[in-house]
Amino acid sequence: MITDVSQIGENLVGDLPENWLLHGPTKRYVDAYHWHNPKVGIVASYTPTAFDVNDHFDIFRGVDQIESFAQASVVSCGAFLQCKKSNITPRMLSEQFIPTFIQVGSVHFHSYLEKGQTFINIGFVKFFKWRQVVCDGRIYRVPKGLDLDAYFKDFDEERLLKYDLGEGFSMIAELFDITGRGIKKEIFEELQQK
Amino acid sequence: MDRKEILTGLIEVLRTVRTVDPAKLENVTEETDFLTDMNTPSTELINIAAKVEQKFDIEFEDEDIDEMGSKVKDIIDLIIKVKARTDAEKE
Repeated sequence: MITDVSQIGENLVGDLPENWLLHGPTKRYVDAYHWHNPKVGIVASYTPTAFDVNDHFDIFRGVDQIESFAQASVVSCGAFLQCKKSNITPRMLSEQFIPTFIQVGSVHFHSYLEKGQTFINIGFVKFFKWRQVVCDGRIYRVPKGLDLDAYFKDFDEERLLKYDLGEGFSMIAELFDITGRGIKKEIFEELQQK
Repeated sequence: MDRKEILTGLIEVLRTVRTVDPAKLENVTEETDFLTDMNTPSTELINIAAKVEQKFDIEFEDEDIDEMGSKVKDIIDLIIKVKARTDAEKE
């Protein structure tokens, strides 16, 4: 757990998702961060478990793909940027704000994911201001057995922007205008009263 | 800059927002509510705020946006407040 701001690095690569996605663990759909440039975007992976696909034909649901993408991009990138800006830890951030799903612009599914099939979320930060984050991106199924940390070690912004991945990556979904915002707890509670 | 000038500038901004119906801009007053009168999606208020920053050469803080109401007069009040703050910082 991150207990001091000095433990926050220059990006999320190598950090544990549970340090940033404080809910869970059963609804946490990010296993690892492989590439991250805070103002640009992120590459993060997840492998659906038997629990994730239970009662759903061993298929990872589309809504859960969107959730995984949002956790990897909007929530992780947004929390990181806000912690850096405010010089606080993720725990301190969560004590002041509720991460809320504001909008799903549009999503196009091209294929599906089965239990045990690792996928990556590639997300771009289109907008970050006033604790609101808007991301676009894609989900790709990863070639079996690929070492993602090694693969993305020398990745760069240019390749990210072009979705420049090697052979064997299969596009699963395209996502646009996935939007979230950290809302002050007092304001969130007022909304609950309405 | 008085409230009337700000309202005129704000309407110019709103003309560039895709989800704002141009027909509804004809009768905008300070009492017009973006959410209930103009059916603007609440997420669009953030985009409007970003455009307002550019138009009026000001910079909103997180707290300004947290406290921003949904009526035209709320945004005009906020512009005046932030402009005064910006001017004070420059002095």
